[in-house]
Amino acid sequence: MSDRGQQAWLSSLLLRGLFLAFIWWSLSGGVAASWWFGVPAIALALFVSTLLLPPQRLVWHALLRFIPFFLLRSLLGGVDVAWRAFHPQRPITPALISYRLRLPAGLSRVVMLNCVTLLPGTLSAALDENILQVHLLSGRESCLAELRQLEVRVAHIFDASLRSGIR
Amino acid sequence: MSASDYLSVALLITGAVFFLAGTVGLLRFPDLYTRLHALTKADNVGLGLMIAGLALQAESWAVVGKLLLIWGLVLLAGAGVAHLIASGALKQGVRPWKK
Repeated sequence: MSDRGQQAWLSSLLLRGLFLAFIWWSLSGGVAASWWFGVPAIALALFVSTLLLPPQRLVWHALLRFIPFFLLRSLLGGVDVAWRAFHPQRPITPALISYRLRLPAGLSRVVMLNCVTLLPGTLSAALDENILQVHLLSGRESCLAELRQLEVRVAHIFDASLRSGIR
Repeated sequence: MSASDYLSVALLITGAVFFLAGTVGLLRFPDLYTRLHALTKADNVGLGLMIAGLALQAESWAVVGKLLLIWGLVLLAGAGVAHLIASGALKQGVRPWKK
């Protein structure tokens, strides 16, 4: 393993350890004595997690920038769908489209799929090889732009390159 | 009541409006796919606002952490289950409603 790769592996492991420690801390209510059980439990969970999902290379600043983007867009998604539900005319023009994913298979795709469902107007309906069926509530063009932007942002987090797909 | 209490009330009520919107969408939207849109997105925002309202009242940071974990897990479960229901429906040939 290269130096750079090893460093990424370690920092990813550290991030997971911190996250697990956060879960333990909040579940145990921050009682100091609980760490006698907590530390071994965290170590075990960390070990199992490396077996289930090998540590990934993450770009921290891209991840941090993604959080406000996601919160804002998912809030807009909720507002958009609530407005359409309450509107007397129920203004929806649903469609099913095929979107060719440029992200490599793996965790980045899972993140993409889950985010698609929470962003305005899009619902990830089915994944077949590289083709993602996306159900749209309305507005085809704006949704396509949204999907492309999301994909670029997710790719940044995982430092993945987007293959220039033939559309 | 203090300022944070008023803010909590406002957040909880707004959250409830989003839950109501999700349910209204479930009843008014024409097919399975559009109903999934309503449920996942509106309920996610509704829960997020309620979590924020409750976090203001929390007695310790550990409770805030627990609330955030709940929100994250519901988000994951909601998006994952919506995807599974939609892909299952497509496989069974349930056609999306068109205007």
